[in-house]
Formats: sequence, structure tokens, C-alpha cells
Amino acid sequence: MSTNPSTPPSESTLQAFADMSAALTGFQSSFIRPFLDPVNLSGTFYQFAVSQVGQPRMDALMGTFASLSNQTPKLTSQQIADTLLETALDAPSLQAQLAQSIVAMWYLGSWYVPGVLGGGGFGPPALQVISSQAYTKSLAWNLAQSHPMGFSAFTFGYWSQQPASLQTFGVDTSNGGGQ
Amino acid sequence: MSSNASPQYDAVIIGAGVSGNLIAKQLGLAGKKVLILEAGLAVPDSREEYMNNFYLALAKTPESPYPALAGRTGSEKNPVGVLPDPSTLPTPRATVLSIGKGPDVSYLVQAQPWSETHQGSQEPPQNPQPDANGNVPGLQFSSTFERNGGGTSWHWLGTSLRELENDIKLQTKYGHGVDWPITYTELQQLWALAEKEIGVSASTEEQQPLEVVGLVYPPGYEYPMQSIPMSTVDQAVSSGVAGLQVPGTLPDTPGGSDPTMYNVFVTPTPAGRNSEPYDDRRVCAGNTNCIPICPIQAKWDPTVTLGKALDTGNVTVSYQSVAYNVAVDGTNATRVDYYVWSRDANGNLSKVSKSVTGKIYVLACHAIENAKLLLLSNNMQGIANSSDQVGRNLMDHPLYLTWALAPEPLFGYRGPLATSGIESLRDGEFRKYRSSFRMEIGNEGWNFSKGDPYTSAMDFIQGTNNTGTNDGGPNGTPQRLAGVQLAEKLNNIYTRQFRIACMFDQSPLAENRVTLDITNGKPNNVDGLGIPRPKVDYGLDPYTMEGFRMAAYVCSQVYQKMGAKEFTANGVGGAGDFTYRGVNYHYYGAGHVVGTHRMGPESGSSVVDASQRSHDIPNMWIVGSGSFPTVCTANPTLTLMALAFKSADSIIAALNT
Repeated sequence: MSTNPSTPPSESTLQAFADMSAALTGFQSSFIRPFLDPVNLSGTFYQFAVSQVGQPRMDALMGTFASLSNQTPKLTSQQIADTLLETALDAPSLQAQLAQSIVAMWYLGSWYVPGVLGGGGFGPPALQVISSQAYTKSLAWNLAQSHPMGFSAFTFGYWSQQPASLQTFGVDTSNGGGQ
Repeated sequence: MSSNASPQYDAVIIGAGVSGNLIAKQLGLAGKKVLILEAGLAVPDSREEYMNNFYLALAKTPESPYPALAGRTGSEKNPVGVLPDPSTLPTPRATVLSIGKGPDVSYLVQAQPWSETHQGSQEPPQNPQPDANGNVPGLQFSSTFERNGGGTSWHWLGTSLRELENDIKLQTKYGHGVDWPITYTELQQLWALAEKEIGVSASTEEQQPLEVVGLVYPPGYEYPMQSIPMSTVDQAVSSGVAGLQVPGTLPDTPGGSDPTMYNVFVTPTPAGRNSEPYDDRRVCAGNTNCIPICPIQAKWDPTVTLGKALDTGNVTVSYQSVAYNVAVDGTNATRVDYYVWSRDANGNLSKVSKSVTGKIYVLACHAIENAKLLLLSNNMQGIANSSDQVGRNLMDHPLYLTWALAPEPLFGYRGPLATSGIESLRDGEFRKYRSSFRMEIGNEGWNFSKGDPYTSAMDFIQGTNNTGTNDGGPNGTPQRLAGVQLAEKLNNIYTRQFRIACMFDQSPLAENRVTLDITNGKPNNVDGLGIPRPKVDYGLDPYTMEGFRMAAYVCSQVYQKMGAKEFTANGVGGAGDFTYRGVNYHYYGAGHVVGTHRMGPESGSSVVDASQRSHDIPNMWIVGSGSFPTVCTANPTLTLMALAFKSADSIIAALNT
């Protein structure tokens, strides 16, 4: 694996990052890394995160993901996500904080410095919006069964009717977890 | 040029916004030669650049698509990016991110709170006292505006409500404020013109229930386009409040009581966005982004009318042209002096001073900028101000925001930002004792309220509770969630979020005013061209605050009736925070800046007449919402355009005599 973040990651690294992202976010892999993926947010996000935290920290997180994925009996995506994000612990480790920032990238299109918390009624400030496409493809809006503000793919009057199901918006509701 | 030469133009218009562009178009159609001086940058050929600015903005505020931009990288000191210093900008403007900041960030120089500056005034506003922690409530003017081709209405919401008959007769009917010097019948004719120009989608049949507050249309009138459908949020609120009634006043309202019970009901909001292809523009696709920018121009904005003005062949626009003096010779205006600014390849700002003459002069550059220019002129002695009313009676629709989670999903974040409201409480005897208000139902979840979807997402990712909803852990502690559980929890929260914004008919007060930021004739703070900046005094009187108390009560009643859980939380000590009768409130600006060159029947107490013509300077019109004597209960854009139609007619008549 390259230590130079400007070098594009290999296909296998990208796929592993996308698989990990799908588990962490609860979205179907096809929404994280579509078969035809000209935007390639997986590549953009991977490289951005590495540029912020360094290759070793990313490698460590993805190493943990790989070992969790290879366990037998097979873990559910929910179990893998809970383990990586350390939801059972009182405080997340530095590695889990990186996993949090990766979830935030997919949900919000922005980079949140790992471990920086919000307060006073508002979330933490993002360091930056990673790109225009990171915003227009950000997935929190799918969780509202909608679209990014300012980027609607719908047509006149859709707002007067119920939206399509959450699964249609990409959440992997068939695979473990749920309320 | 020689003062004997004939004027270069029939009319020189300062400002390419709603009023300026409409008047330019009407004059151009009448064959009059018009120059528009626009302080800011030209209207871009495509709005893609503005869209990209919006996408990349850390804080997606109303100003975020438009130059000058905040920085795009956050830091500990500047979490939303470095804000530009107004003293380095040719056209600085008031921005959301600069509210409550000092003059190194805020273009508007905000005066001290009333408690420190207004003691002994004739009608002393009751400024709230410092709280137990010693925080002085931050009554600051919180509305913002743009200075570019097209003006602030690039980011208007599109709300195109008409005022009510009693809105414009507040003094006669209720003994409060002042009346407008224009009849309702004439306004009805003018609104019809504005509704056609903007392209308003609404149905008079759907508005008919508002007869109870005096909203009536001339027989046979119909809007240009069918109405915008009510959102799923509107539908849930509408059915949820069925049967709700509230009294006109709460117990212990100062001055008197109105025990009448008023019906609370929801009506679709007339909107300046296309429900059908109209005027060569597309149908609304529900981008939920009317503010700060419609990506597809389905919402009318002033650049539409500017295009039509230019199409007449009689209108020219000079961009990057900042007027700083209107010369007056005797009683007539004779010349406008302005700077043309530019930046070189290194970003260095330079300016060239120019002058232009017209038979008629029209100040159309925003309620605050109009006042600033009038006060700046004649070597900062001011013009058109024999009434001493220029800059006074500054008003806004102070906006009180409340928010809640519905018991079931109602699916916000979809459709135009707002499609319906509660307009049924806008008029009644209570206006003798407290301010009236309208209630706008939002379609953007808790985006305005809490910065969502961001804040909720980070709450459940990181295990914080900044939204108030993350209390599902042991003993009400916040949860940290992952994967599908995180996604489904956020889905459950987002789809139940909604909010109501209440906007008040704030009292006109002489103490609320725009002045120049000068001391002994010398400017304290200037813009990048060396022009003194506006200083603002602003606050709310008890009549207005009592309206907030009522609005908080009505919102809570609405939420209770719906079975929704309210999460409204108001701070103390920040800009816009105040305490009234022991309860904390916060107001936002609505951008509805009003009153600084009020219209009235005579020159002693007003700046312009009903056609927005200066009482003092007969060849000068001062136009826009600054002419409103009161801010009323409807969003102002439709009415300010209606008044611009009347002004255009009077200007053409003056040019033809």
C-alpha cells in the first residue's frame, strides 16, 4: 500500500474502503460504490482521510475491518460497525474516531476532525466541504428520504406525497440492525 | 460636465434590485432612456458559479453563494472560514455570519443596546435588564442584504402574500403605529400587476377562508398560475390543528385584553415560483433551497425583470458603480457622483470617480443603503430630510423560530422551503395591545433551527446531544450508534422534524434608525472605497415583545394539539436574545428591512409620498421597502414591487410633462 496520499489507491484498497464504508454507514454497497462510478467518492474520501490522518492510521482501521470481515462465524454488518465505532464503550479510541469521521464524510460530504465535538446546541464545525460532488451526493439527505438542499432529482409536486421507502434511498435495511 | 448641458438620461436609477429593475423596465417600455448604477458585480451568465459557492460553503447562509465569500476552510478561530474585512471590500454588506461581530467583520456598525443609549427618550423602549449571570441581552439588527446585480432578492423565499386592509390602517383601526397613504383598492390593482410580473402561483378559492382577517380580492380576480401543492408537512399540521382556537391576548397583557377566540388554520402560501412553465422559466422541482439560491430559476428573481428591461433597448447597466453623492441644486437633484471600482490581477482595489446626470433620479438600493446615500449626500449634511425621518423607523420582521418532532413522519426536507402558513391570526382587536404575526410552516426539517442534518448526524455518531433528541441511553444519556441502527435512528428523527417561524408587525420607532458611522464629521469605519458605513440602532418595544409571548403560546398549542414534542430552546446574551417577563426569546432577521424613508401624506412627518416621490426633491424618487410606514403582516417583496409600478407610472407622467 502506498504511503503517498497523492497516489490513487489500488482497486482492492478502494473496494475494501467502500465495503467498510457501507458497514459503517448502513448503506448498501451499490450506493457507496456503484458499478458505474464516474464520481468515485470512495477514492476521493479515502485519499482525503489519508491526507488528514496519515496512512498508518488508515491502514490500522482497515486492518481491523479486514480481520472482522474474515471472522467465522461471519459477523453481521451491524456487528462490524458497532465494533469499529466502539459503540459499547464509554469513549471511542482514536481509531474509532477516524471511523466516525468516515461516516461523517459519507453522510455530510465534509471532513470533521476526529475527536472534535460540538457544543452549545450545535455540532462540531467541519474543516471543509470536501468537494461540490461530496455535497451533492451526501447521504444524510437520503436518511430524510429526500435530496441535498439545492440538488433535487425530483419533479414538481413530489413534496405533496409520501416519499419512497428508506430502502429505496439506499439504506441496507434488510441486513441486520434496525430499531 | 457643464450644468447647462441637457441631462444624459431620462432617469438614473441607483440599484439593480426588485424596484430598480421594475422601474427601468417600465420606463424602457415607455421609450425613456435609463441608466442603472449597480454597486456590485454583474449578473453572471450562468448561476453555476453561485451554486458551486453554495455547495462548498461551510455555513450555508443566505449570503453563501454570493461574493464576497467567507473562506472555505475552517479553523479554531474561524470555524466557518475567515470572514472578509468590510474595510477592504468595495461593496461590503450585512451578512448572517457577521451578526453580533465588531466592525472588523460586520459591515453594519451596531450601536450599543438600548439600555445604554436611549435613556430619556420620549417613548422609552423597555430594554430587558441583564440576567442573573450579568449578560446584557444582545438586541442587534439581524437582517442582511446583498449588493450585486439582482440584489437581495436572489435569495428571497418567494412568499407573495398580500397585506391585509387593517395592516395599512393600523393607526385608524387600532390606534397603533401609522396608516399608509394609499388605499387598499389601489394596492389591489398594483398587486395584480406585481403578481403577473413575478408569476405568482396561488388560488383565490384556497385563500377565501382568510376573509376572516379581511383578505379579499376584486371579483373575478385569479392568480397567473395554479397554486403550489401543500407539502406533507403542511398536510400534517393542517389536519393536526383542526379545531384549535386561541384567545386574542394572554392574561395580564399590558393595556387591555381581547378575549375573542380565533381559529387557527393552515392555508397555502401564494408564491413567486412556477407551478407551470411561465415566462420562459421552468417549473419548480422542489430543491428546498429558495434561500439561498434556486438552482433552476423556477423562482422569480430580479434578474428576470432586469433581462426584460435590457430587452427594451433603452436601459443600460453600469456595474461596479457605487453612488456616494446625489447633488442637489436648489430643490432639484442635478447629478449623481459615483465610483467605478475594479480589481487588478493581484486583487488590488482601485476606483475612478465619475458623474452622471438625468432628468429624474431614483434611489433603489435597499432600505439601509438608500438611507446611507441620502445621509451621505451634500457633504454628509443629508438631502430629502426636512422631516428628519431619513433612516428612522427602521423595522424588520423579527422572526421567532420554534421547532418540534411530530409523533409520526411528516417528511420535511422536501419541496420549496415553505408552502403554507397560518395566516388566520394576522388581524384582530388584539392589535391594540400587541403585535400581530403570521406563522410560516417550514419544509426544511430542523435545518434553520439546528443546522440539520449536520447536528443530528454528529450527535448520534459522536454521542453528544446538541439537538436535544439524543437521550435514549441509560438515564437519558446520549447514544453512539453505528451502521444500519445509526441510519434508521436518523431517519426516524429527520422525517419527524418540522418548525414554525413567526414574523411580527414590529412597531415603527424613531429611535430605531440608520445613521452614518461618523464622529464630528469624520468617519469611524469606512468601506474599501472610503465611504462611511451605516450605523444601526435597533430594538423591540413591549408591544412587539408581547407578540412574541403570544406566538410562543400559539406554537406550543399547535404542537400539543398535534401530539408533537417541542424542542425550542432560546439562549441568553447572544445577538438577538432577549428576556421578556421572565422568559427567554431569540429573534432572527427576516431580511424584510423597512421604514427608513417612510411614505406619508405630508413632508413634515415622512420622506416620500404615496408614489415614493421625495417631498423635498421633486425630481427624485426613493423606492423600495424603506418606504413602508409599517412592516405589516405579509412578506414585503410583492408590495414593494407593487409600489414600484405606481412609481414608474408617476415618473413617466413627470417625464411627459
